[in-house]
Amino acid sequence: MKRRALWSTALIAPLALYGCGSAAAPDSGSEGGDGTLVVWDWKSGDATAASYIEAAKADFAERHPDVEVEFVAQPFDQYYNLLGTAIQSGEGPDVMLFNGGGQLRDRADALLPLDDLLAEDMDRLAGWEAFTADGQVYAAPVTLQGHPLYYNKALYEEAGLDPEAPAATWEEFLADCAAITEATGADCFAMGNKEGYGIQFFLSGIGPGVLSPEEYDAWIAGDRDWTSPGVRRVFELWVEAEQAGLNNDGVNSTAMFNDEFALFDAGEAAHVVGLMSDVGHWKEFGEFIGAENVGVMPAPVAAAGAAPALPYDGGIGYGVAEWTADPELAADLVRSLTSTAALEAFYADAGAIAADTTIDASGAGPAAAAIVAQIPTGKPALHVALSAETLELMGRLSQELLSGSTTVDEALGELAASDQAS
Amino acid sequence: MPIGTPPTSVRPAAAGPAGETARAAAPRTVRGPRRGNLRFPRAERLAPYVLVAPAVLVIAGLRLYPLALGVNFSFTGDGDRNGQNVGWDNYRTLFGDPLFAEAMRNTGLLVLLLPVAVAIPGLLATFIYLRVPGHRLYRSVYFFPAVLSPVIIGAIFNLLLAYDGPANALLGAVGLGPVDWLGDPDVAIYAVVGVHVWATFGMALVVFLAGFATLDTSLIDAARVDGASLPLVIRHVIVPGLARTIQFVVVTTMIGMLTSMFGLLYVMTGGGPEGSTYLPEYYIWFQQGQMSRPALASAASTVLFVVMLAVGLAQLAILRRSGRED
Repeated sequence: MKRRALWSTALIAPLALYGCGSAAAPDSGSEGGDGTLVVWDWKSGDATAASYIEAAKADFAERHPDVEVEFVAQPFDQYYNLLGTAIQSGEGPDVMLFNGGGQLRDRADALLPLDDLLAEDMDRLAGWEAFTADGQVYAAPVTLQGHPLYYNKALYEEAGLDPEAPAATWEEFLADCAAITEATGADCFAMGNKEGYGIQFFLSGIGPGVLSPEEYDAWIAGDRDWTSPGVRRVFELWVEAEQAGLNNDGVNSTAMFNDEFALFDAGEAAHVVGLMSDVGHWKEFGEFIGAENVGVMPAPVAAAGAAPALPYDGGIGYGVAEWTADPELAADLVRSLTSTAALEAFYADAGAIAADTTIDASGAGPAAAAIVAQIPTGKPALHVALSAETLELMGRLSQELLSGSTTVDEALGELAASDQAS
Repeated sequence: MPIGTPPTSVRPAAAGPAGETARAAAPRTVRGPRRGNLRFPRAERLAPYVLVAPAVLVIAGLRLYPLALGVNFSFTGDGDRNGQNVGWDNYRTLFGDPLFAEAMRNTGLLVLLLPVAVAIPGLLATFIYLRVPGHRLYRSVYFFPAVLSPVIIGAIFNLLLAYDGPANALLGAVGLGPVDWLGDPDVAIYAVVGVHVWATFGMALVVFLAGFATLDTSLIDAARVDGASLPLVIRHVIVPGLARTIQFVVVTTMIGMLTSMFGLLYVMTGGGPEGSTYLPEYYIWFQQGQMSRPALASAASTVLFVVMLAVGLAQLAILRRSGRED
């Protein structure tokens, strides 16, 4: 019996050692500087992003022919869970994709500041604010993401309104909505707040028509007065819109992705606060109601002194992990991923407003052209400035506001406390 | 020597061969040390430890050690305070969080709804056993949802229970107002639990039918001859005869409700509306991944572990008692 044990030990030991050796080999390769760079994202698996990834790879291979780049496409649902685990263990991808705003800022301590490494791209690309935390840049923007107020020109025409002259004030807007609902039966807003996203889009899409430019800028800069008349007005409008029947039925059980947008696609709602890139945007709407029928309007002015601007930020961007072996090499890959050639491919195939301001967007229809034209005067979106925790709380409170189980004052009090704590 | 002794609760009929083997083996092992040379006793003394070592090592290395790490991790901070010892801070945050309170309340609600979740398959199995017309069809129809994944079931019911969906159309047809099944915080949790029960009762039904197979039909016939009505037959003959089956179904249904509703919640409500459908599991996932607060999630996991430990011990006690009755 003893001899048999010895034999099996002798057999197993080399196998175990072999296992260790093979597991260690790739690591030692990447530490040498050239070897493999690993990129995590949720885009590279999409067919629409294939040409973008190809272009970026080609750009990078030109400068570093001996370095292999491995793209690992994670499912978006699980992306930040997986990333959180990688960050916790201090090892994982060298370069990773982020949503701008809270998702990046919450994880900034796991990222490398890129200000010096990306200095040359600062002017060419737009949307850096969403990837900045405590004054330092942690990722380079790939797309711009914003929250334009889209409207259906066909419904305007059907209701006898001028589709090229949408309402400029909230009163006119309400009158237009009443006319559209009367004539076509369509709701004023397509609204889905099942996940609590509806309020975020409402705040960013309608807020610019309420807050004065000074208050808006202060909000973005972090100086937020939740009890000011302007902020209160935005949340009152949220409640009034529901009570006045502007929204579709069952807002709290309608998913924004994609039931809300489906309502707009089907012509059952006249307006929607949508996105600029990826989904729920001009390209998707155009496929359903016709590109010529997709209009983009500034937020209707609901308070004196407001000067609405297009709300947008960096949408997605690539950052470099703090634990990467060769930061300059990884930053070079980020530069390739945001090169003009790569972003042009992304814009053309995926229907995203790319972060590169030198790309010509005039061929993509009137809505895209209208959005691109407003980018120079645009401002960061209101909700993107909030922490993930405050956004989560706002989602829950917005549902309570709609069901009437809390008041605007109580909700704002809770939000102010959460905003201060984070 | 403990190894090879049949557990007392095992029924003699089932344990017959094993018991004989143990009896046959016993004299040999007892004789061994007495007549062997000096090297053998030690080897034989060590043998049991060597034999249980793999199991102990697997449990200690892959269960207990990670558990201890997780508990330890729950006393560290998140974000800026990553890795620092923060004492009971996470637990204070946890018990001050209305969302976690809601999750624990919902856990309590699930326990309260347990009798319903057990009664439904029990009642339906009774009907099948009593051969209601079409019972063969029902037997397979009832089991059908058990083979569907929670994600698919969730997606189906998302459509059915949508505000402008078929369920509300049906209500409208009979003149009842629409119900926002998944958007009304007072209704949503019941909608999700209802779907969960619908999706999983097939398994319990099969267990009940197996229990019925062991029931003594002569007792039921006797009761009928004596003029007992159906409710009385169920109350005084079927339920007592199925006591062990019912206990087993209670335990497994409870485990199912507390541990496997994540998929449905994720697809159907995402914890909403107003956080009214949060369960501890969902809360843990949410804090770890969406809020990037893994240490707080660890604290929540530890609390959930303690709760499940208490529930598990209670269940063991129930099972042990029913074993003794036999």
